[in-house]
Amino acid sequence: MRYLPHTEADRQAMLQDIGMSKMSDLFADIPSEFHTELGSLKLPDGLSEAGIVKKFTKAAEKNRHAGNTRCFLGGGTYYHFVPAVVDYIISRGEFLTAYTPYQPEIAQGTLQALFEYQTMIARLTGMEVSNASMYEAATATAEAALMARRVTRKTRTVIAGSVNPRYRAVTENYLSRLEGDFVEVGMGKFGTDLSKVIAEIDDKTACVIVQYPDFYGSVYDLKPLREACNAHKCLMVVAFSDVSAFGLIESPGAYGADIVVGSGQALGIPMAYGGPHLGVFACKKKYLRQMPGRVCGLTTDADGKRGFVLTLSTREQHIRREKATSNICTNQGLMCTAAATYMTLMGDAGLATIAQHSAAALDLLVSKLPSHVVAASGAHYNETVLTFESADKRDAFIAEARKQDIFAGIPLEKFEKDIEAKHLLVATTEMIEEDDVNALIAAMEVAS
Amino acid sequence: MSENKYSATSGIQQEEPLLFEHAHEAPESINLPGVKGEVSSDLAAFKRKTPANIPGLSEPETVRHFVRLSQWNHGIETGFYPLGSCTMKYNPRVNEQIARLPGLAHVHPDQPEDSVQGMLGLLSELQGWLAEIAGFSDVTLQPAAGAHGELAGLMMIRKCLDARGEQNRKKVLVPDSAHGTNPASAALCGMYTVELKSGADGRIDLEELKKHLDGDVAALMMTNPNTAGTFETDIKEICQLVHDAGGLVYGDGANLNALVGVARPGDMGLDCLHINVHKTFSTPHGGGGPGAGPVAVNDTLKPFMPVPRIVENDGVFSIETEDEQSIGTILSTLGQSGVYMRANAYISAFGNNHIHQIAQDAVLNANYVLSKLKSVYHVPFEGLCKHECLLTDEWQNKHGVKTLDIAKRLIDLGFHPMTVYFPLIVHGAMLIEPTETESRETLDSFCDAMLEIAAQCEAGDTQALHDAPLKPIRRRLDETQAARKPVLVWEG
Amino acid sequence: MSVPTDLKFTKEHEWVRIEGDTATFGISDHAQEALGDLVFVELPEVGRNIDAGEAYGVIESVKAVSDVYAPVGGEVIEINETLESEADLVNSDAYGAGWIIKVKISDNNADTDLMNPEEYTEFLND
Repeated sequence: MRYLPHTEADRQAMLQDIGMSKMSDLFADIPSEFHTELGSLKLPDGLSEAGIVKKFTKAAEKNRHAGNTRCFLGGGTYYHFVPAVVDYIISRGEFLTAYTPYQPEIAQGTLQALFEYQTMIARLTGMEVSNASMYEAATATAEAALMARRVTRKTRTVIAGSVNPRYRAVTENYLSRLEGDFVEVGMGKFGTDLSKVIAEIDDKTACVIVQYPDFYGSVYDLKPLREACNAHKCLMVVAFSDVSAFGLIESPGAYGADIVVGSGQALGIPMAYGGPHLGVFACKKKYLRQMPGRVCGLTTDADGKRGFVLTLSTREQHIRREKATSNICTNQGLMCTAAATYMTLMGDAGLATIAQHSAAALDLLVSKLPSHVVAASGAHYNETVLTFESADKRDAFIAEARKQDIFAGIPLEKFEKDIEAKHLLVATTEMIEEDDVNALIAAMEVAS
Repeated sequence: MSENKYSATSGIQQEEPLLFEHAHEAPESINLPGVKGEVSSDLAAFKRKTPANIPGLSEPETVRHFVRLSQWNHGIETGFYPLGSCTMKYNPRVNEQIARLPGLAHVHPDQPEDSVQGMLGLLSELQGWLAEIAGFSDVTLQPAAGAHGELAGLMMIRKCLDARGEQNRKKVLVPDSAHGTNPASAALCGMYTVELKSGADGRIDLEELKKHLDGDVAALMMTNPNTAGTFETDIKEICQLVHDAGGLVYGDGANLNALVGVARPGDMGLDCLHINVHKTFSTPHGGGGPGAGPVAVNDTLKPFMPVPRIVENDGVFSIETEDEQSIGTILSTLGQSGVYMRANAYISAFGNNHIHQIAQDAVLNANYVLSKLKSVYHVPFEGLCKHECLLTDEWQNKHGVKTLDIAKRLIDLGFHPMTVYFPLIVHGAMLIEPTETESRETLDSFCDAMLEIAAQCEAGDTQALHDAPLKPIRRRLDETQAARKPVLVWEG
Repeated sequence: MSVPTDLKFTKEHEWVRIEGDTATFGISDHAQEALGDLVFVELPEVGRNIDAGEAYGVIESVKAVSDVYAPVGGEVIEINETLESEADLVNSDAYGAGWIIKVKISDNNADTDLMNPEEYTEFLND
């Protein structure tokens, strides 16, 4: 077996060194009734490296993917471009095969990259501090709700119905075993009606969670929410699903958000059928000791040189145990390095261009819609809801688009099961070019 | 002689400032595809008033910056990494290659099912294999990491007890040697933990366990082999006792590497087990993630698994999103699919004919290291170990040397230190897990280093130990300063 | 370190100085030494009512974290805000500048359980 360095002779010699004669002696402490007969598992026999490549290539060929189609799918995951440099950097064994940097002297590379990541995320979201990432956006949202309970010592959570339904479901699930109300505010439209959300806030409210741009891609003014949160001493939590938006639009921090959470997958991380992605978590400095997850901090070494360590670890489970701020142990370390590399390559100018192109593609799409398809009104970033005359008309369009190798969008009922099946959530990124939009519109016309 | 004996050298390492300190204007924005042109006036009203202040470097500068940072790291590819309970084994390169195939890397999680049959097939196959290897009836792939798997497992246990009408059962028993995540996960499920004091041999003490088994018990959370590296020989009786008391047994699979292909936790009576694929199945740790923590369940807990789930019907795969009994959803997608591609490739490489060699060589290596070191380092629990061995600094203490000094000295000799000060049940713990992918030559070299350190203690030649490390780009870092006045972002 | 004779101690290693109806809380020199370098002290809000024995704050060192419990009950009237930026005062001067909060005593029943410095030293030696 090529991953195992020992020869049979090595094994025998080593067994002898420890005073044993056969491998099974090493397992003598396991009751014999629990010994599995070696080679009796229902697994195929091992493959050669060439065999593995063949197997996965064959499986991959059975999939269609964003690279060989025109992909208008969003809903939390987006097909942005991943520069070669990003993949190269995270493929380096020193980043790829290192553990969590608990021995900081020999993990300064990971740690400085985390510090740079935290800095850039804080700047992009307009917040004072960031942690070194969470699993992904839905769990980050749930963790924000839990953090707000700790900060405010209150237990009521208000969440807008225009937050990604999956973030809502996970957050509700996390909170369901704890005391306190969980209030979902229905919107009745494809956008966010802040007045409805604000009406639900009371003095018992620990936090209010909105999404910006919201699940339907709608962008709106968050200012009234800040005022309402001040009035009731509750935390303002802003979620997002495509961090690229903040290359262009005002950051949640500029509106005074207390906690900002969302998906950083856009920052150089492939969609990979749902993960590994990147959960962004940023907050105001005054709350940092209640912030979940790992954080990297600046310090000095024994010679007085600048260096970095994981810090505030007393909040973590291995010391605080049941009183820990969160049960999380792992972050998405390598994805932070990817995001840091990506942001460095792009800079302000690149991030602005990506956001601009992503939004411009959506504008172009909406401007070309035939009259029987209606897009949600108001300001949108790179995602919107298209409404068709009927479920049949929509499905005919989806099918026609598929024939042309276009993933036209996500049927909204996949997220909101009670909604009439005539809506489609469509998203654009800088990977969508004018001819992609034209092809989508052409399919719409053929299917009508 | 001794300086050449180990791999560490003081080779050139380049200083590299923070990227924010590279003092020049960013170059022209890179050429990006897409629809050019201004955005709609509706959206333009929301434009950022000031840029985020992300500096931006040219491509050559970016590469050099991050390559220099990478050279400050120790990874498995750099050298031996015997971090106990972390299973730092070689991460096969072919796994990286196949995970990057466009047909796997660029698949959107909401593509129609008929367009992702290849992906679903690989995930479903892995699900089945993990269930088979661990000895359970089914597996959920949704948990994103071990601690997340723990949460999922406890949620299922909660739901199962509720379904039995036993809402009152809230006590979770956790051995004092357990991983720290356990109590935090229980608290999130509205349950509380009670610590079980380990017996004199570091194992679960049956009498102590019996004392705590009453009508309030929801579960026992255990790790087997435990974090002292020894097998819980009473496992059958332990599970029986907990079940008789009306509770369930949760297994932390952090140490599954000791058992792969040799014994199956599911056969021993556990109700579920989370599997750290970034440990046992070689997916890269990445400097702290991504991981994945699938949970294997028996028939008792199967109805409560999270959704979405992959279902197979006549070779066609689909995704089930609704189920009355399910604990619901705990992630925005099906799971960390990219991580699972690598795990699938790892198991594919071993297969039925070789998979037991993982546990065999892992346990052989740990016992080999133990046998070489036990004459000079105190072994708190005598006997056979499994995939990791536990030592303490008790004998070095009398020379004023602590575990931390030993760990830092290892760095100067070219090794990543072992896990230190864990488990908490012994003082000055050093937990060494060599894994199956290390050669005898590497193990010998590591043991020589450990013996040399012990000899230095005996000789009273301890200054190098207290000063260590001297060779890395940074020496011991001031953690107190970092925690007192936290600086988490660059404000220069 | 010399222990001021007007202090009383709890088994959780807190000290209390009672002057009229005001009580000042802190942690003992032994406690600060056991915890190591303190990095953070989480203080309660002024005006909060605390029962005797209730956890009123949290102290953190690099490696450990611990709740602090009220030796007597009362309303918080003053907090040592300096500790928010200089937690190490607890290390350097546990019985002086490292005091944590002051309360207006409302529940002094626990007084009987408190130890004087000699008893506390004995307790530590046991």
